[in-house]
Amino acid sequence: MTSPGDVLESYVLLSALIFTIGGVGFLVRRNVLVQLMSIELMLNSVNLLMVAFNRVHGDAMTGNMFAFFIIAVAAAEVAVGLAIVLSYYRLKSTVYTDEADLLRH
Amino acid sequence: MHAFEKIFPADDFALLALILGMPLLGAFVNGVFGKRLGKDAVRLMALSALGVAFLGSVLTFFLLHAAQTGGEGGGEQAARFVWHGWQWLDLSRANEAGLIHSGAAPSMLQLEMAFSVDALSGTMALIVTGVGFLIHLYSTSYMENDPGYYRFFAYLNLFIFSMLVLILGHSLPILFIGWEGVGLCSYLLIGFWFDQSANASAGKKAFVVNRIGDFGLLVAMALLIRYTGALDWDGMARGSRGLMTEIPIWNGHLFPASFPSFLTESHSVTVATLVGLSLFLGCAGKSAQFPLYVWLPDAMAGPTPVSALIHAATMVTAGVYLVCRMAGIFTLSPAAMFVVACIGAFTALFAATIALVQRDIKKVLAYSTVSQLGFMFLGVGVGAFSAGFFHVLTHAFFKACLFLGAGSVIHAMHARIHDTDASQDVNNMGGLKQYLPRTHLTFLVSVLAIAGLPLTSGFFSKDEILYSAYTRSVVSPSPNAFVWPEWTGTVLFAVGVTAAVMTAFYMFRVYFLTFHGEFKGWKIVPGWQGAHDAHGADGHDAAEHAHAHGADLHDGTEHAHGPGPAHGPAAREDAHGQQAHTQVAGELSDGPQPHESPWQMTAPLLILAALAAVGGFLNAHPLHIVPLEHWLEPVFASAVDAARLHSKDPDDALMIPLLIPGVLAFLVGSSFAYVVYLQRKGLPETTFAARFPGLYQLLFDKWRVDELYDELVVGSLEALADASVWVDRWVVDGILARLTALLVTVWGHLLRLLQTGHAQAYAAVMVLGLFGLGWFVAVPQPEAAVSGDAATGQYAVQAAPGLGYSYRWDADGDGNFDTDQFGAFGQVTLTLEEGASREVQLQVRNAFGRVKSGSFSVSRPRHDAAAPTALAAPRGAPHLPARVLQRAPPAEGNVPPAGSAAAVPGGTPRGVQ
Amino acid sequence: MSAGNLLFALCSIACLVGALITVSAQNPIRGAMGLLTTIFGIAGLFLKLRAEFLTAIQLIVYAGAVVVLFVFVLMLLGPDARAPARAGRSGSSRLLGGALFAATALMGIVSLLRGQGRQGLGPAAPDHGSVEAVGRQMFGSAIFAFELVTALLIVAVVGAIAVGRGRQGIVRKKPVVSSPRELFAGPPRARPAPRRLGTEGAE
Repeated sequence: MTSPGDVLESYVLLSALIFTIGGVGFLVRRNVLVQLMSIELMLNSVNLLMVAFNRVHGDAMTGNMFAFFIIAVAAAEVAVGLAIVLSYYRLKSTVYTDEADLLRH
Repeated sequence: MHAFEKIFPADDFALLALILGMPLLGAFVNGVFGKRLGKDAVRLMALSALGVAFLGSVLTFFLLHAAQTGGEGGGEQAARFVWHGWQWLDLSRANEAGLIHSGAAPSMLQLEMAFSVDALSGTMALIVTGVGFLIHLYSTSYMENDPGYYRFFAYLNLFIFSMLVLILGHSLPILFIGWEGVGLCSYLLIGFWFDQSANASAGKKAFVVNRIGDFGLLVAMALLIRYTGALDWDGMARGSRGLMTEIPIWNGHLFPASFPSFLTESHSVTVATLVGLSLFLGCAGKSAQFPLYVWLPDAMAGPTPVSALIHAATMVTAGVYLVCRMAGIFTLSPAAMFVVACIGAFTALFAATIALVQRDIKKVLAYSTVSQLGFMFLGVGVGAFSAGFFHVLTHAFFKACLFLGAGSVIHAMHARIHDTDASQDVNNMGGLKQYLPRTHLTFLVSVLAIAGLPLTSGFFSKDEILYSAYTRSVVSPSPNAFVWPEWTGTVLFAVGVTAAVMTAFYMFRVYFLTFHGEFKGWKIVPGWQGAHDAHGADGHDAAEHAHAHGADLHDGTEHAHGPGPAHGPAAREDAHGQQAHTQVAGELSDGPQPHESPWQMTAPLLILAALAAVGGFLNAHPLHIVPLEHWLEPVFASAVDAARLHSKDPDDALMIPLLIPGVLAFLVGSSFAYVVYLQRKGLPETTFAARFPGLYQLLFDKWRVDELYDELVVGSLEALADASVWVDRWVVDGILARLTALLVTVWGHLLRLLQTGHAQAYAAVMVLGLFGLGWFVAVPQPEAAVSGDAATGQYAVQAAPGLGYSYRWDADGDGNFDTDQFGAFGQVTLTLEEGASREVQLQVRNAFGRVKSGSFSVSRPRHDAAAPTALAAPRGAPHLPARVLQRAPPAEGNVPPAGSAAAVPGGTPRGVQ
Repeated sequence: MSAGNLLFALCSIACLVGALITVSAQNPIRGAMGLLTTIFGIAGLFLKLRAEFLTAIQLIVYAGAVVVLFVFVLMLLGPDARAPARAGRSGSSRLLGGALFAATALMGIVSLLRGQGRQGLGPAAPDHGSVEAVGRQMFGSAIFAFELVTALLIVAVVGAIAVGRGRQGIVRKKPVVSSPRELFAGPPRARPAPRRLGTEGAE
C-alpha cells in the first residue's frame, strides 16, 4: 500500500483541512489579528495545494511559481493589513471587529 | 329704376357688398382710429355708415319689389338677388370619393362667401339698418360723456355688420358666421363697462349660454350636409327629400317583452325632426327661450341703447328669422314645430309671470322681450310664418321705443342718482309725466301697442298669432309622423291669452309707476346745483354705474334691493338703507328737476312711436289689409303648402270672434293695473306680497332658475372637479405614487437589516453563496469527451473527472451497463465499422451516492463524408448549443469536444484500478 | 516507515495542531506561535514535495517577516490585544457563517475521501523545484507577473506607511535661519519709524 506521504490525495486533504480551519477561524473570531492570521492559514493551505499538484504534473514549474507569488502578495497584504489594524486601534482603542460597523445602516 | 337694375343685376347684386361693407368700414375706422379722430368724426362715421346701409336696403327693397311683382306669370314669384363673393370651401371631390351621401340631390358641397337678399331678408335688413340708425342717433347723445365713445360705436357698427351677414347670408355657414358675430358683439357690448366685474360676468353668461345653443346649430348643419348634400338655401330646398329619412333612435328589442310598451317598441324619427330640434336649440339660445333665456335679463347690465338694439329689435329676433328662413325644412316635421310652438307659449307665460313683480325698469322690459319672443315662436311654430315675422317687425318698433324711453328716464334719474340699481328702480320714479313730456308720450304709445290696444301694431300682430295658434297646425303626409293632439290649439290659445293679460298688466304697471303719481326720487329743489357732480341738462355721467355716494355701491345686479315684501311702492318713507339717494336714512335728499332728453334722443323715440302706432296696417288681417303677407308669400310658398299646414278655419270665419279674447285681455290687464297702481297707489301689491310671501319671492327671484342651473350644471362640474381632485390625491398620488414609494421604502428597510457593517457578516453571506455552489458537489455531472479517428475506427470516450466520482459504462450500446459495480474507469474504448454509430452510456456516482447517467453517441462516417468524426451530444446534461466543428485531417489526436462543458485539458488517462 | 513518511506525518501534525491553536487561542501571541508552527509544518511539507526553493522562501518570508510583523503589532498593542470578551453583537451571523463553511468543506472532504483511485506522486525530475527551474520559468514566461509583483510590493509599502502614519503627520521643523543675510547680520532688530519730511504742515 502506498504510504500517505506519496499520495496526492493526502496533501489535498491536508490543504482542505487547514483551509477549513482557517476559514472557520476568520468567520468566527472577533479579534482582528486572529482573523488576519486565519487568512494566512488559508493562503498557506493554497500554497500547499499548488506545490502538491505541481509535484504531480511536473513538466512546468507553474505551481511553485504561483505559490511564490502568493507568498509575495500575502506579505504585502499583511503589511498593509497590520497598518490598518493599528489605525483602527488608534481610533477605537479596541481590536474587536464587532465595533467596526460604521457602514451599518 | 331700370338704371339701377342694370347696375345691379339680380345674379351679381353688388349693392349687398356696399350694404355690408359700410358698417364694417365704420367699425374698422372707429375702432382703430377712433381715439385719434375725436367724437365728431366718430359720430359722423358711424351714422353715415348706417345711413348708407339703410339707403342701400331701401333701394334693394324697391328693386326686389319690382322684380317680384313684375314677373311674367303675373303672379308673384320669389325674387332673390345673389352676390357671389368668393369660393370658401370646395368639398365636391369628397363627394366623388363617396364620402358624402345624399338623398336625391348630388352633393357638391361647395361653400361660397355669397350673400343674397329676398323678400324676407330684405325686410329684415330694413328693420336692422333702420332701427339701427335711429339707435345710433340716440346713442350719440346718450353716450356723450363716456370715455369709451369710439369703442362703443365701433362695436355697434360691428354688430350691425354681423347682423347683416346673418340676414343676408346665402348659406347656413355664412349665417352662422353672422350668428357668432352678433354673439361676440353682444358680449362686447353687454360688458362694455368691463371694469365692473358684474358687467363682465353678464357678458360672459350671454356668450356661454349662446354657445350652448350654437351646438345645436352645428349639429343641424352636419345633419343637413349628410342628408341634403348642401347648405345654401337653394341646395337645401332641392335636397329636402333626403330629410325624410328615418333614423332609429330607440331599439326596443333590447328590452324583454314584459316591460312597458314604450320601452319595447322601436322608435325612429325623421332627420327633419332632428334638424328642426337642433336648429331650435340654437334659436332658444339666441332668442332667449326657455331654458336658455337666463342671459337676457343679465344683459341689461349693458348700456340702454345696446339693450334696445340687440336685445329688443335685432339680435334676439335672429332665432325667429332662422326659423322663417328654414321654414321649408321645419314644416317637414310636425314634431319639431310642436316643440317650437309649445316652448314659445310656455316661455311667453313664464317670462310674463316674472315681469309682474320686477322693480328695475330695464328688467321688466327684458322679461317682456323674452315673453314677446315666445309669442313669435308660438306664431312660427304653428306655421304662421308671416304672422310671426310681422310680430318681429312690430316688436322692433315698440320694444325699441320702450327701451329708448327707459333710457331717457334713466338719463333723467342720473341727474341725481348715480347708482345703477337705484336709478332704474321703478319705486324711485313717479310723476315723470310733467318733466319728460315727449318721453312720456312715446312710452305711452308703445305701452298701448304692446298691450294690444285695438288698431295699434301690437294688436294686429299679437292677435294674428293668437288666432293662428288656435286654428293652425302642422301635418305630415307620412303615416307614422307625429300628430298634433286635438287640444293643442285651445291650450296654446289659452296660454297666449293669459300671457297677453299679464303683458298688459305689467306694462301698464311700469307706466303708471314711472310716469304717474308723485316723484319719489328726490326732493325737487328749483335751481339746485350739485356739489361735485353738477352737469348740464345734456350729457350724462360717464357711466351708469356708481360714484360712491355714501356707503353704498351696488352695480349691475338686483341684489342690492333686498327682497322683502315690505319694500313696496308705498314704503317709500321706510329706511331705504341700501339706496343711494338717501344720505340720511328715511329722508329724500335734494336735487334738481328731472330734465327731458335732447333731440337726438327724443327724435328716434317719436319716429319709433309713430311706427308702433300705425305699423299694424302692414298686416291687418281682420281688415283684410295684408301687404306684408303678400310680400312674403313667395318666400314661404313651399312651407305653407296645404299638404303641410292644416287650418281649422280655412275661410277665416273664426277670426273676428277670436279677436275678442285679445281685446278683453287688453282691457282686463290695463284696467287692473290702473286700479292697483293709480287708484290704490300700489297697496294691493304690498298686500299680496304680505299674504303670499313665498310666491311673491319666487316670482321676484325669477323662479330661481339661475340658482337651479348653478346647482345642477355648475354644481355637477364642481362635483366632477372634486372627484378628480380626490382621484388625483388618493389614486394617482396615493396608490400609484405613494404606495409604490412606500413599498420600495419598506423593502429597503427590510434589506437594510442585512447591512450590519460587519465584514464577518458579509463574509458569512458569501459563505452562504459558497454553500449554494455545493450543489455541484452534491449532484453528479456526467460529462464525457469522445475522441478517436475515423480511419481506424478506434474511438475513446473519456469521462470528465470529478471529486469522488465512480463510473459505470455501457460501451456496447445494448442498453445494459457492462458492470454492476461502479469503478474508477474513466475511459472506455471501442471500435466501430464504417457507417456505424453507437450509443454509449455513462453512469456517474458521486461520493454521496447519487447517481446520474448520460449518453453519448459515437459514429463513424463513411469514407466519402467529410463531416466531423464525432459528435458528443450528451443528454441529460445542462443544455449547451452544439457546435459542429470542421476539422482537418483526421490523423490528429483528440478532437476538441463539441459543446461539452467538462473537457479534460490534456492529462494522462487514469489507470485502471 | 521511511523518512519521507515520517517527515510527512510530523509536518502534517504540526500544521493541523498549529492551525487549531491559531484559531482557538485566546491569547493572540499563542495564536501567532501556532501560526509559526503551521508555517514550519508547511515548509517541511514543501521539502517533502521537492520544492526546495519554496521552502526557503516560506521560512524567510513567512516565518521571518510576516509572523514577526504580527508579533510586533501585538507588542505595540500590548494588553489591549486581548481585551476581555464583551457580549458579541454579531454572534449569530458569525456562527452561521462558520457552520456553513464547515459544512461546505465537509462535503468536499467527504467527496475526496470517498473518491476511488488514488493518485501517486510519481517520480520527479531531478531539478524539480530547484531555484534554477523556478527561476527559469519566472524570468522567462512569467517575467511580467514578476515585475508586477515588484510594483505591488512598492505600493504595499507606500500604503502601509500612509495608513499607519496617523493624523499628526510629519512635524515640520522651523529652519534655523530664514535667509542667508541672517547668517551675517543676525536676526532683524526693531528700529523707530523714519521721519517724514514735508507733510507735517499739510493740514
